[in-house]
Amino acid sequence: MGKKDLASVTTDLSALASMMPTQRPALAVAPPPASTPRPTPIRAQEELAREEQAIQFSLSMRKELRKQLARLASEADMTMRAFVLNALKEKGLSVREDDLIDLRKERR
Amino acid sequence: MSIITIATSKGGAGKTTIARLILGRLALDGLPVAAVDADLNHTLTDWVRAASKHPITIEHELDETRIVPLVESLHEKHDVVVIDTAGAATQATIFAIGCADLVLVPCQTSSADIVEAIKTMNLIKSASLMMKRSVTARVVLTGYQPNTNISTHVEGEIAKANLPLMRARLNRLVAFQEMSFTGIVPTTGIAGVQCANFIDEIASLGGIPAASKLAS
Repeated sequence: MGKKDLASVTTDLSALASMMPTQRPALAVAPPPASTPRPTPIRAQEELAREEQAIQFSLSMRKELRKQLARLASEADMTMRAFVLNALKEKGLSVREDDLIDLRKERR
Repeated sequence: MSIITIATSKGGAGKTTIARLILGRLALDGLPVAAVDADLNHTLTDWVRAASKHPITIEHELDETRIVPLVESLHEKHDVVVIDTAGAATQATIFAIGCADLVLVPCQTSSADIVEAIKTMNLIKSASLMMKRSVTARVVLTGYQPNTNISTHVEGEIAKANLPLMRARLNRLVAFQEMSFTGIVPTTGIAGVQCANFIDEIASLGGIPAASKLAS
């Protein structure tokens, strides 16, 4: 890679440029780029695609058991979903912390 | 070794998006690339420093008297130098045009975009006359929405004004908007294909040095 000779550019275009506004006075007020507030980055589609998808899973049980499950979960201040997953975790299921997040609270 | 200037006196036409695409894609392919950000908003600088995942040298320079020497210096160590200008015709824009092997004039599908694209192309012609050499320049349709009346109309207006137009279109795609946050230039899907076509056409216009042309 060699140096490009642009020496004549400034000379050739000075007359034309002189008719245009300059940006130089703004130098004093322009904040340094590093201090600019930045919005929170979002995750790339590729990264999101790599994540495991959640699936629906239905379970049938006696009505009384369902009532008990709801009561026990409520007493533990958990969703039924989290309560069941937590119980299964004790049996060896690979349940992560983010699996136990109360999605209802996020939606509110 | 080439210099690509992105210029239009209309703000928000897609100058920085184009700069990101070119720099990111070429850097991804291993080319040493650099950019001069001559925009007061330093959006490109922020992107390169904060978000971009690609190796890109960036200099923020508003002082028109320093643009040419800065480009000369960056050009010594980089295959491609991209100059992103402000959304107004300024002295820095003139000198950036003067340095360029290729000037890209982004134009969205609006009346104001066409008006400013015409003004910018006239400015490029004036610069060419004063330098006694022709500067290759192309309008690039950005935020393009295919199969709509407005896009067809804008293409007609550009043809009527005899503005040289790139074949490649950059559609209004989420991937291009996401790039501003993720720093990742799309390589897959429609956005990836459009980006590849865009780079290929730039190469065919001499905006990318022959020895460095991408295999794609």
